[in-house]
Amino acid sequence: MTLAMDTPWWLAALVLAVLPLFNNGIQPSAYPWLVMLPIDPVSQAISVLLRGGAMAAIAALVLGLAGLHQTGQSRERIGYGANIVLLLDRSNSMDNTFAGKTPDGADESKATAARRLLSDFVRQRPHDLLGIAEYSTAPLFVLPLTDNKAAIQAAINATATPALAYTHVSKGLGMALDMFKDQPLSGSRIVLLVSDGAAAIDPDSELQLRLAFKRQNIRLYWLFLRTANSPGIFEKPQDPRDDNAGAMPERYLHLFFSSLNIPYQAYQAESPDAMQQAIADINRLEHAPLHYLERIPKRDLSGDCYLWATGLLAMLLAVKFFEVKR
Amino acid sequence: MFSNYLKNYRFWLLSLALIAMLMVFVRPTQNQPRPIYNYTFIIDITRSMNAADYQLDGQAVSRLAYVKHSLRGLLAKLPCQSKVGLGLFTERRSTLLFEPIEVCQGFNDIDAALANVDWRMAWAADSRIASGLLNTLQMLEKLDTHVVFITDGQEAPPVNPRYRSDFAAVKGKVQGMVIGAGGLQAVPIPKFNHKGEPDGFYRPNDVPHRSTFGEADLNPEKIQGYNARNAPFGSEAAVGSEHLSALQEGYLQALSTEAGLHYHRMTDVEALATALQIPEFAVQKTTAVDVRWQAALAALLLVACVYGGLRPFPSWSLGTGGNNYLQNRKIL
Repeated sequence: MTLAMDTPWWLAALVLAVLPLFNNGIQPSAYPWLVMLPIDPVSQAISVLLRGGAMAAIAALVLGLAGLHQTGQSRERIGYGANIVLLLDRSNSMDNTFAGKTPDGADESKATAARRLLSDFVRQRPHDLLGIAEYSTAPLFVLPLTDNKAAIQAAINATATPALAYTHVSKGLGMALDMFKDQPLSGSRIVLLVSDGAAAIDPDSELQLRLAFKRQNIRLYWLFLRTANSPGIFEKPQDPRDDNAGAMPERYLHLFFSSLNIPYQAYQAESPDAMQQAIADINRLEHAPLHYLERIPKRDLSGDCYLWATGLLAMLLAVKFFEVKR
Repeated sequence: MFSNYLKNYRFWLLSLALIAMLMVFVRPTQNQPRPIYNYTFIIDITRSMNAADYQLDGQAVSRLAYVKHSLRGLLAKLPCQSKVGLGLFTERRSTLLFEPIEVCQGFNDIDAALANVDWRMAWAADSRIASGLLNTLQMLEKLDTHVVFITDGQEAPPVNPRYRSDFAAVKGKVQGMVIGAGGLQAVPIPKFNHKGEPDGFYRPNDVPHRSTFGEADLNPEKIQGYNARNAPFGSEAAVGSEHLSALQEGYLQALSTEAGLHYHRMTDVEALATALQIPEFAVQKTTAVDVRWQAALAALLLVACVYGGLRPFPSWSLGTGGNNYLQNRKIL
C-alpha cells in the first residue's frame, strides 16, 4: 500500500495548518486579573482539542486538494483467472483462406477468423490477465499482461492490417515466455500460439526455449490453422527422407513441444468451425478455480479527506455556539 | 445573546466554510467541454534510428531511445479520454500494434508497449520513408485517428526522383503530423552482428549510395559508361555519404506538405506536447470534470482567515477585549 498525490505541490499549503497554534480562533474575553484563574486541566484539554481539530481540518482540506490516493493495492481472490499470452502469427499466409486462396467474400481469411474467435475468447474470460505478442520474421511486443480488456481488443483489431513477412516462431516464443518474467507466480501461465505454419527452430534457441518453458511453468496450447494440401502436425511423411525439420517444420515443432514435458495440447483446425471448437475446448480446460491476486486500481482518498474536513468544521462551528460573551 | 454570534466574524467564516464543504458533496462534478486527442504513433525502427545524436541525462542516446522516452513523457500529459495507438515502420510499410487505447486507463499498457519498441522488431530491412508514409496513411485512412509519423527521413537506399510516391490519393483524407527525429549533423550509424551485439559502425562500402532501380533520372549523355539496357546508371561506382545519417528535415517537410500533414522537429517533451495538442487535432468532448477543488479551496481560505486572524472587513467585530490578546493566550 502506498499513498500518493495527484498534484503534490498543493502540499505546500500544509503550512496553513500551523495557524491554529498561534490563534485558537476563539473570541477573547477581557478578564481583570489572569493570575487569579486557577490552572484548569479540562480547559487545557479543550483548548488542545480545538487547536488540533482546526489543524486537522486544514490538513484534511489540503490533502483533499492535493488528490490523495492509494496505489498498489491488491486483494486475494479465488476465481477463474489465468495469465494468458496470445502469440499470433502475422506472416503473409495468414491473410489467405483455409483453402490457401485470397479471401473472396465467401470464405474469410485465417487472420479474420482468428480475430473474430479470439475476440469472443477474450470476452468470455473477464478475470484473466492477457498479453499479446506477435511474430513474423521478427517478434513484435504488443501488450504486456494486463486486465485492460479494451486494450486487448484494440490489439486484436489491429491485426486486421495487412500481415507482414515470414514465420520465425522461435523468436516469438522467446518473447512470449519473457512476458511472464516479472509476473508473480499466481494463477496458471498459458501461451496460446495461433499460427498457420511453423519454422525449424535453430539449436541455440531450442536450448533456451526448453529452459524457459520449464522455468516459467508454462502450459502451452498450439492452435494450428492448417491450409488445405499442406502437411499437418500429426502427419508422417511417406518418404522417410522427408522426415526432417526442414521439410516438415510443423511436425517437428509439434515433436519439440511434446518433448518439453510441460502440459501441452495441439489443435489442428482446418476450418473456422474447427477453430471455434478448439478455442471452446481451451476455454473449458482453463476453467479450474485459482488463487490469484487482483490488482485494484488507485483508490481516491480525497473524498474521505473532504468528509473529515467537513466533520471537523462542523465541530468547530458547533463549539462557537458554546462561546460565552461576558 | 444570539446576536453575539452574528457579530463574530469567525462564526460567519466558519459557517461559510461549512456551506462550501457541503457544496463539495452536493456538486462534486461539473460537465465541461474539454479537448481530447486521438493519435496513432508510427515509429521508424530502421537502422538509422540507432544513430546516437540525442542527449538524455548527459548520455548520448539513440534517436529511437529518445523517441520512446519522449512519447512516454507525452502520455502523461495527454488529458484523460484521449486515445493513443501504436505502430512500427520499417522497409516500405508499417504495422499497427494496437488501435488507439484510452490513455488514463491504459497508461501502463501503452507505456510498456512503448518501452519494448526495439529496432530488432523490424521484419525486413530497407527504409523507404515516402512509400512507408503513403502506406501508413492508406492503412489508417479508415481509422478515425491522427497519424503521427516519427522518422529521421533517411531513405535507404536513396530514392530515384523519377519514382516518387504520389500522395494525391490520400491528401486531405488523413490528418496528422510528421515528426523529424535526429540531429542536423551527419553521424555514423551503429552496426550490430547477428546476435544483436554492437559491431562498430556502417562504412561507405556497406550501403548503397544510389538507387539502381528502373531508369536513371540523369541525362544519359552525362552518364559515364551508359547503356540503356545493361547499365542505365552507368559504369561508375556510386560514392556518397549514405553510411552517415542526419535528420533530412527539408525532405520531411516537403513530404508532409505533399501529404497534407504538419511537421515538427523533435526536441523535447514539452515542445512535442505543445506541437501535438493543437486545436486542429482536438475534439471537444463534454466530460464530468471534478470541481470539488473549487469549493474545498474556498473552505480552506475561509478557515485560514479564521485562524490567521484576518477579518475580511475591519469593521467586523473582533469581540470585546480584542486588545487582551496576551491575557487570552494565558487562559487557554
